[in-house]
Amino acid sequence: MAHFDLLTKNDFTPILAQRMFYEQVDTVLWIRWGLYLFAGFFAVFPLIVAYIVLAERKIAARFQDRIGPNRVGPFGLLQPFADFIKLIIKESIVPKGANSFVHILAPILTLISAFLVLAVIPFGIGLAPVDLPSGLLYMVSVSSIAALSIFLAGWSSRNKYSLLGAMRGVAQLVSYEIPQVMSILPVILWSGSLSLVSIVQTQQYDQGWFLFSPPGILGFLLLLISSIAEVNRAPFDLPEAESEIIAGFHTEYSGMRFGLFFLGEYLNVFAICCLSTTLFLGGGSLPLQGYFADEADHMLVAPFDASKQSVLKLNAHHEFPENPSTGFRINITNIVGETQAFQVSHRVGNDLVLMANRPVEFKADAYSRVSAAARPSYAAPWHLSNLIMIPVFLGKVFFLVFVIFWIRATLPRVRVDRLMSFAWKTMVPLAIANIFVATIWFEMVIRPVGGFSARLLAWLVTGLLTAGAVALVFRINRNSYQANDPERRPTLISRSGDSLLAATTRGL
Amino acid sequence: MIQALFIALSAFGLLMALGTVFARNLVNAALFLVAFFFVVACQFVLLEAEFMAAIQVLIYIGAVAVLLMFGIMLTRNIQGDETTIVSRQWRLLGVGVAGSVLIVLFLGINGFKPWTDLGVRPEFPVTAETTTERGQAIIAMTPTVGREMMTRYVVPFELAGLLLTAALVGAVVLAQYDNTDEKTASAEPPQVS
Repeated sequence: MAHFDLLTKNDFTPILAQRMFYEQVDTVLWIRWGLYLFAGFFAVFPLIVAYIVLAERKIAARFQDRIGPNRVGPFGLLQPFADFIKLIIKESIVPKGANSFVHILAPILTLISAFLVLAVIPFGIGLAPVDLPSGLLYMVSVSSIAALSIFLAGWSSRNKYSLLGAMRGVAQLVSYEIPQVMSILPVILWSGSLSLVSIVQTQQYDQGWFLFSPPGILGFLLLLISSIAEVNRAPFDLPEAESEIIAGFHTEYSGMRFGLFFLGEYLNVFAICCLSTTLFLGGGSLPLQGYFADEADHMLVAPFDASKQSVLKLNAHHEFPENPSTGFRINITNIVGETQAFQVSHRVGNDLVLMANRPVEFKADAYSRVSAAARPSYAAPWHLSNLIMIPVFLGKVFFLVFVIFWIRATLPRVRVDRLMSFAWKTMVPLAIANIFVATIWFEMVIRPVGGFSARLLAWLVTGLLTAGAVALVFRINRNSYQANDPERRPTLISRSGDSLLAATTRGL
Repeated sequence: MIQALFIALSAFGLLMALGTVFARNLVNAALFLVAFFFVVACQFVLLEAEFMAAIQVLIYIGAVAVLLMFGIMLTRNIQGDETTIVSRQWRLLGVGVAGSVLIVLFLGINGFKPWTDLGVRPEFPVTAETTTERGQAIIAMTPTVGREMMTRYVVPFELAGLLLTAALVGAVVLAQYDNTDEKTASAEPPQVS
């Protein structure tokens, strides 16, 4: 077979082993990378962003009982091109003493961060541009570059109000990173892997959407809210609000430089919607697909003894047609009746290399059952499945984008001290509580591979716990939300608990 | 091909490091340092440790560099036009110390053996029976790190957690709003009418 030639011919390294995940190694890999780099980078993503901007204007207009832009093309569809031309021909004014290299670098860093986040998202089967075994960690680290870019924007403008706006912006971003990461932890626990492809596969074939569980609902809401705060989107758009006196870090940007910031912001919105869809909505899979997981009797070719080796050799006719990514759970039931769960490490030819969390004594002979892995081999090949999965994925993403626009059109802007206390006093405790409830769900449903009754009981238990946690956190914080307390009435510089701002303004 | 990529990346990284040292403007120097951190992350990727690369970006660029920027921007005037000027003697001393460190590293990087005796990186074939600990560590580093932190390195892990908690408590204490300071500084808050 073709892939065994690669074994002998190449200077073989484990990363190259990932290339063996596909039937035709080279062409598929280069097609994927080519798609992402050229089609995606230059064409698809900018077009999506341009039309998202138009969609925002029209949707916000409809919420405000008016029609949005409709002059330029039919239904205003050529408006993005008009905007683009306007931004290009405008003069880019740079303040005289400003550091012009840093001034142009800041929006570029935002764009870099957004594109790097989009690089690990699985848009369909075999359509994740890069499938890293630690994809989620990479994504968290790349999205923390955005804080640096806001800081640089404020600094390079040579404007003390821009600097203050930038510092508030960085404080907001750094604060909301914590609930964002902590709300992802339940997903990592349930799927046992950091690879986004594996998370989608777990939801698609094994568990169903992670949203359909009380800790999943809470985690999804926490992720969405903190991601909206991370991209400076209303109601958390204090750093870029036009009506604030501290007008924000992009005061001194005009023309195409401002256009780059704009592009970066909407690309970030798209990226976080893709992320939320991938992690909680099973990106690309239909709602009930995971509950009809195929527990086919894949047959082992050779006896399997976990204490001596960790390689699962499968019968060629029952090979996994879709390549499970790192961390995907496989349960093996031997003839005695004991079941042991393993996780996929990588695949070599027809063999899957498994790993277990602790040394196990487990023996399975050639007639054991291997379950919860993949579709049976008579299912459609991946390029046909993608014809359904990509539209479903994009539908979910655009629905979330619409929700973000809806929130912007509906809610007023949050004041800076309430923004910070919301992050630290409400969202962080809720995220921590969510991890505990998610562990309970894991122990009740996922680890014993529970059926319908286990799921129902777990819904009741975790639902009560989640509701209790939310109620408790809001009740404890009730006293700090007194807006009419004269001691806490905001002045020009907010005094109630916003020490960062007070400290910075004292120095000036 | 990997060799050429490594050489190009290292040359770029060296340029960034030189930029950090020679830049006049402090913020430019910090930005060169950020680029250097990123090049180090790329080197980790070339060594097939993408977990380490992600952690490098997260900690160094996402936290240390931001902290560095805060430090620069809050302790200088707005644009930081002043540049640091060091006297001649200190500069000579600095060059001397840095040169000796360079010599030690240059010789020590190959274990103080002559450079004609380059050690070969051990071959790591990925065969169907790769079950060694090192194999698992390279292929899926995150579960390996987690497992080791909970079994073999649990004491350093707990100590690091203690240290971080102490730092957090210290930061909260330092940044706490001081009510007595407020009363002496302004008798009456500015009225917004």
